[in-house]
Parts: sequence; C-alpha cells; structure tokens
Amino acid sequence: MQFFGFHLMPYPYLTDEHRGRPDSSWITLSNQNFDPRRGHELYQRYLRELVLYDEVGFDGVCVNEHHQTAYGLMPAPDVVAAVLIPQTRGKIAVLGNAISLRDHPLRVAEEIAMLDVISGGRIISGFVRGIGAEYQTFQLDPTQSRGRFHEAHDLIVEAWTRPGPFEWYGRHFKLRYVNPWPRPLQQPHPPVWSPSQGSAETVGWAARHRYTYLQTYSDIATLRRAFTEYREAAGRHGYTAAPAQLGWAAPVYLADTDEQARREAAPHLDYLFNTLLRMPRDMFFPPGYLTMASAPRVLGAKRGLGEGQNDLADLIERGYALVGSPATIRQQIEQYASELGFGIFCGICQFGSLGHEEFERSVRLFADGVIPALRPAGDGRA
Amino acid sequence: MATTRSSMTGTEASQTAARVAERDLTVHETRIRMLSAGAGDPFLYLHDSGDLGRWAPWLSGLAGRYTVWRPDHPGFNASADGADIDSVHELAFFYLDLLDELGLDRVILAGAGLGGWLAADLATIEPERVSRLILAGARGIRTDERVPDIFLLSAAELAELTYHTDGARSAAREQAEQLADDPGRFERYLRNRSATAHLGWNPYLHDPKLPRRLHRATAPTLILWGAQDRLLPVRHARRWAELLPRTHVTVINDAGHLPLAEQPGASLQAIRNFCGES
Repeated sequence: MQFFGFHLMPYPYLTDEHRGRPDSSWITLSNQNFDPRRGHELYQRYLRELVLYDEVGFDGVCVNEHHQTAYGLMPAPDVVAAVLIPQTRGKIAVLGNAISLRDHPLRVAEEIAMLDVISGGRIISGFVRGIGAEYQTFQLDPTQSRGRFHEAHDLIVEAWTRPGPFEWYGRHFKLRYVNPWPRPLQQPHPPVWSPSQGSAETVGWAARHRYTYLQTYSDIATLRRAFTEYREAAGRHGYTAAPAQLGWAAPVYLADTDEQARREAAPHLDYLFNTLLRMPRDMFFPPGYLTMASAPRVLGAKRGLGEGQNDLADLIERGYALVGSPATIRQQIEQYASELGFGIFCGICQFGSLGHEEFERSVRLFADGVIPALRPAGDGRA
Repeated sequence: MATTRSSMTGTEASQTAARVAERDLTVHETRIRMLSAGAGDPFLYLHDSGDLGRWAPWLSGLAGRYTVWRPDHPGFNASADGADIDSVHELAFFYLDLLDELGLDRVILAGAGLGGWLAADLATIEPERVSRLILAGARGIRTDERVPDIFLLSAAELAELTYHTDGARSAAREQAEQLADDPGRFERYLRNRSATAHLGWNPYLHDPKLPRRLHRATAPTLILWGAQDRLLPVRHARRWAELLPRTHVTVINDAGHLPLAEQPGASLQAIRNFCGES
C-alpha cells in the first residue's frame, strides 16, 4: 500500500450566516467573505501541513484545483506544487489539473514538465474535467467538457512524448507548432492519475490508458462498483489491473479512541459536507456535463451530496469518511484493501475547519499506527 | 440548394384539435420531428428552449388560415442531434435548408425565446424568404440589465420565473416538480437544456454580432412581449424595435416570458392584426 496525504486548503472562517444557507459555497458566495490577511496565515499553515505529510513518511502529497469557492484555496495547483518541491522529498501529485477548463492544454504540458524537471522526476499528473460549477466560473460550454478533456489529454501526452515540432489539428485545438520546452524528466512521461467520483465513462477511460484511477468522496458501495468496473475494463483491454492502479481518497481523522475521534471530527466534517460541499444540483451538474446515459439517474435522484443536511454518523457508516483510533482505521483500510484490491490510499487529513493541532496529532497517529503496518517490508521510503 | 435529401417516412399521428400530422424529416443527414396542421400560406414556428415537444393549443388557432409547421430543433425533443450545429447562426442555415426541403420560398416566420433569436438570425441571412417576422420574448440580444441565469435554476424555479399569473405559475411549478416521474418527459427536458447550453452558454443566450446584421431583416416584424417577463424584461422588446427596421411592438398584459402560452387569446389577436395588415 502506498500512502498519500491530500490537502484541500479549505477556507474555515465562514460564519454561521453562511452555514446552512440554501444556496452554495461556490460561484455565488461573495469573495468579500475571504479575508486576505487571514488567508496569508492560512497558506503558511497549510503549506507546513503538506510538508508534514512528507516528513512523517507518506509516499507523497496531493494538491488539487478548484475555483471561486471556500471549499479550497488552490485555483492554481501547479503553483502550490512548485512551492513544495524544495521542501519535500517524496512524490507530489497534482490531482487534477482541470484540463478541460484551460484555454490552452499546452500550458499544462509545459507546467507539469517544468515541475517534473525541477523536482527531479517526482511529479504525478492528475487530469480532471473540473466539477460542474467550474463551467460557470469560466463560462465554458459544459456540453463540450468531455470532448475538450479527451483532446486536451491526447495533446498533452503527445506533446510530452512525440518529437516536436509537429502539427495538431483537432476539433477544439488547432496548432501549427507543438514543440514545448522543457520535456518531462520521467520517461515516457510522468504517471497520470484519473481522480473521479465514479462515472462509468471516466473509469473506462482510465482503464483503457492503464492510468491510476482514484475514487474520491464515495461510499464503499460506489468504491466497489468503480473498482470492479475498472478491473472488467482492464480485462477487456487484455491485462490485469495492478493494485497500484486503484486508489481511494477519503477524509480521515484519528485520535486515541474511536469516541474521541468522532467527537473531535464531527464539527469539521459537518463544515466540509454541509457547508463547503453545499451546491444546488443544477450548479453541480450543468446541462450536458453528464452523458445522457447517466444524467437521468443522477439528476432524478431524490437528493444529492451537495443538498440538504448530511447525517455524519450515516456518512461514516457508509465509508464517506474514516474516523477512529489508529487500530480502527488500520483494520478498516486493511479490510477494504483486501476486499476491494486497491493499492493507494489518499488520506484527506485536513478537512473543513480542522485546527492545526488536531491535524498534526491525527497525521502522526496515522504515520505511526497505520502506515508501517500496511506497507510491506522493504517498501518503505529511504 | 437543389441537392437536399429527404425521407418523409414515419408515423402520422393525430394530436389535438387541429388534426396535427407528425412525421420524421431528414435534412442533410439530420433527422428531425415535424408537426404540421392546417392549410393555407406557410407559417413556420420555431419553439423556445423549454418546449417539451407538445403541439401548443394556440397553434391550432392559426391552422384555419395557414399551414402551420412546427419542427423540433435538432438536438431537442424527438429530433436527432445536429452534430456540427454549435450556434444559433449555424442552426439558422439548417432551417434555410429545411425551407428548401419543404419547397417553401417564403414564409411567415415566428419564434419564441430561443426560437425568436433563431428566426431573427435567419431573417438577416435570406430576408426575401420571410414575408413577416414574429418574435415573442426573443433571446439573442443583450442589454445592460442583468437577467436570471436559467442554467443555475432548477426546473421548478425556472417555471416560477417563466409565468406571471398565479394559476399558470403554480401549474407549471407542479409539472416541473413531477418532471423526473415521467422518464420520457424528463429525458426531453435534459436534452433540451443540454442543447440550449451548447447553442447559448457563451455568450449567454445572445449573439454580440447579431445587432450589426439586423438591419438586413426587412420584413414587417411583430415584437410580442409579456409585460411581466422576468426572464427577459420588456426592455428587450424596445431594444429589438431599435435594431430591426420595420417593427410593431405589442406588450401583452398579465403575461411572463411566454405570452403565447399564458395569454393565447390576446397574443393570437395581436398576430392576426399584424398579419392582416399589408
């Protein structure tokens, strides 16, 4: 098992006035609620927390991209990755450049190649479409999201691997000269990860390319379905999926006892699930963002994750978050891993409004009480 | 223009009142569903983005004098996707091909909302094909007034904002809340929303280049607007009147964004008066 520490860089200072509001913490929540002075201190703290993952023995750290939201303060994940390079030794996973949202995919090819060369080949490149709300952020036609994603991906990988200059004439991008400098250090290119909430289309795509598929925010039932679909798709493409091709990302919090962990995590999970993730369905899934194969099921459901009040005990019960003592968390990950066959676990140890002290204590408990037991001998980092 | 291919096979289903024919029609490889009724001079109606494919009762009020043609746009309702149609301007060329296909040299051209935008665009390309132009709550132009973002609204919220009178509003809201209970209807709603987004996501439901072309649309034009339109306030009617060369504006009282649906009597009277003039 490989372990990664994921950080969302949430904005924790929304007042009660915003908590429980019917609308959203995305797009329409005024940026006047962001205090740049407190923001400065937050970034300092959050960067220290990312470095802590690396220091205590995680295989790597994960950063990601979101826009116009209190959910996360990383609209530019490559910037955060650059800051982390001199402060870390392990992998840096940019879990999701939202390549459909970029005006120009070659900018991503260039930035990731820069990071890879500067870091000495420690970069993992995640590709995502961006969530639905972000098609409002950039006023980008959501019906073109998948098409742009696939073409941007193809262009980036080709830009990394095919001797330039060459011509690209696609539906969305038409370029006379593709010839980016620098090229990545890792050959043929940095590992690609595909984070998703479990859409069948994305699972199939990741399996076809043999990319690591990372399931985020889901219950165990969805996790099982997605991994099964991945293995079946791999079989259709004539290979057997390795555990390192399957990853699970979930909020995780540890304390000395299960009871203490639940008590301490509760307000911050509440802030994550019931304030930061709050989003009306039509914002979460704009027209055409989902295929017609999945849209009626998702949009016809009685309630989605971003709506109404999520019951925390229920979320924990269903596996949306792992909360407990080191022994409990170790057993859960071990049991799920042997049952579901994944080889990568990304702990979202910072979530909601969690304070630094609780974060650090939880991460150290994870590093001491979970990682060594689940990492095979000889698989440890130097 | 002589090389369009067509197939007029398909079901001929009778709908309400005016004995409505339903058939499939293929224009340059794009298959659409066409409803038609009546006899007389051709009247082509281009529907709004929220239209779920029903023959609107008010159309029957025109079928006594006209042959009324009412297609589902490519990508909407029971029509196939129009693969490369990614703007209203492109869609207008599709409809010029359709006129050729039907052998219609000249039509009364009407449209509501998105369909109004489409009608106005078509009238700038081949003005001689349009004897009269009728725009009801037409999208397509922008004013400084900020308008609601229909793509952020749920079906029920959109229904509330679309209509004005209590009865129409609550009926539409109730239908919208039950949308997911009828799989066929729900799928049409989702497809229509997606097709509308593809045509009008950015810029938001208008074409910044259209105003510079509107002087070419020389047909007599009726601008029909709901006095209480909250999706596209009546100020837009006045802007259309400034941009188009020969307009007559009729504002319908006690109507929101769809005056033809909400006040069909007054709206039809306005159309009859307009078409009776010469």
